[in-house]
Amino acid sequence: MDNQKESLVQKGKKELDKRFSRLVGLSSSNLCVRCGLCVDACHYIMSDGKDLAVSPVAKAEQVRQVYKKHHDWLSKVFPRWTGAQKLTEEKLKDWREVAYKNCSMCQRCTVNCPLGVDIPAIMGATRSTLSSLDLAPEMLTMLADMAISREENLDAFRNSFVNQIRSMEKELQEKMGDPSATIPVEVQNANFLYVPLSGAHTILPAAHIFNKAKESWTISMYEAANYGIFLQDTARSKKITDRIVNEAKRLGVNEVIITECGHAYSTFRWTAPSWYDEPWPFRVRNLVEVIDEYIQTKRIKVDPEKIKESITLHDSCNLARNSGLIEEPRRILKALVKDIREMSPNKERNICCGGGGGLVANPEWAETRLKAGKPKAEQIKATQAEVVVASCDNCRHQIEELNDHYDLKVKVTGLSEIISEALI
Amino acid sequence: MNEEITVAKTLDLKGLLCPMPIVKIAQAIKEIEIGEVIEATATDPGVLADVPAWASTSGNEVVSLEHGDVITFRVRRIK
Repeated sequence: MDNQKESLVQKGKKELDKRFSRLVGLSSSNLCVRCGLCVDACHYIMSDGKDLAVSPVAKAEQVRQVYKKHHDWLSKVFPRWTGAQKLTEEKLKDWREVAYKNCSMCQRCTVNCPLGVDIPAIMGATRSTLSSLDLAPEMLTMLADMAISREENLDAFRNSFVNQIRSMEKELQEKMGDPSATIPVEVQNANFLYVPLSGAHTILPAAHIFNKAKESWTISMYEAANYGIFLQDTARSKKITDRIVNEAKRLGVNEVIITECGHAYSTFRWTAPSWYDEPWPFRVRNLVEVIDEYIQTKRIKVDPEKIKESITLHDSCNLARNSGLIEEPRRILKALVKDIREMSPNKERNICCGGGGGLVANPEWAETRLKAGKPKAEQIKATQAEVVVASCDNCRHQIEELNDHYDLKVKVTGLSEIISEALI
Repeated sequence: MNEEITVAKTLDLKGLLCPMPIVKIAQAIKEIEIGEVIEATATDPGVLADVPAWASTSGNEVVSLEHGDVITFRVRRIK
């Protein structure tokens, strides 16, 4: 038993070293002047204000103390002076809550830090370390493994997938009153490969828009979600990414368009390319960028009188703060909504809904997640809007739960769905 | 082949979107005994691929998986 404990700690040290670069570790540690601005910026603190142990600086410090113990000469010699601590099995288990439960990796602390200390990078290294030690939340690991297994056995459900798409296609034709409307599957040399999630809500509205724009497009059997990134497990994440990269190459498309899903887009657009030796022979964009282009170039037209309700836009952390898609959804909404009510703060300083970082898929910590979503619920309530548009499926799940939990009495929808309603 | 199956638990997953049907099934399977069966109904087409993949990785068994307007499936807890 003692040997087992020792081996977990020894392995933990090695894994942490691999993932916790000097830049992330010591430089971040030395840069931080303990000003406390990240404390006020964190939605976990905003929702409670009492438990400072969940503040960004305190969470990062728990990991930095261990890193310092092994890499900083002063900490090695005089650990009490610097607060350096040994890695223990108990500490590794505590980190599970530090990095997975009490941080949604929203990056708001970094944006508010005058020195740009990247605390989510520290949390990411911690998540990755825990994942390599099999200490990550079981549900996230299961979802990542399920996605990998599914893609390895695609032929087993090819017929049912195609039947489902044909059924959606009929629905689309009825909606458009156009028997030629189509949802193309695995079409070679289409202009782009659209990568949806598995639900019809990410396929039908987008198909409506693409058909109206007379776009050359295709879908395939792969979906966009990447649970490996929540584990910060590059091996699992890359296996999930590979299938889209290989499919885009096989089909010879010019672009890959990722649906309204924050983590899927930021992973595929910003993180994954560095895992490959060669640049990809296709461009990557988000569906929001494509719709914005269609509207700006008048390739699709929307009825500005169709949407009567007041609408507020929730900026997804991964799409807005971390990917820069801030003005695109606003330009789209302005084309079809008269009463837009901005949340405050918004754009790159928007408050996380509390469901990011894989939390929304983990029932183990639902209570914490709903509590951490209180500032978002209050933001929504303050706008008195009737509809919340969330251009990320993860945020949408969470806001729907916040809607029930905090009795917000709003309708929650996606951007492509609302465009589809107003298309002429 | 015509084995009579007793369903120990039923789940209504209609309206839930990926990954919630799988999250609910993964939770519910722990609440039944080994050898017992859960029957669930869902509307998210993603479960057609997700349920067999989840069963394969979690070591459980898909007893049946049928789809019309509503998808109905049965899974047996193996371990």
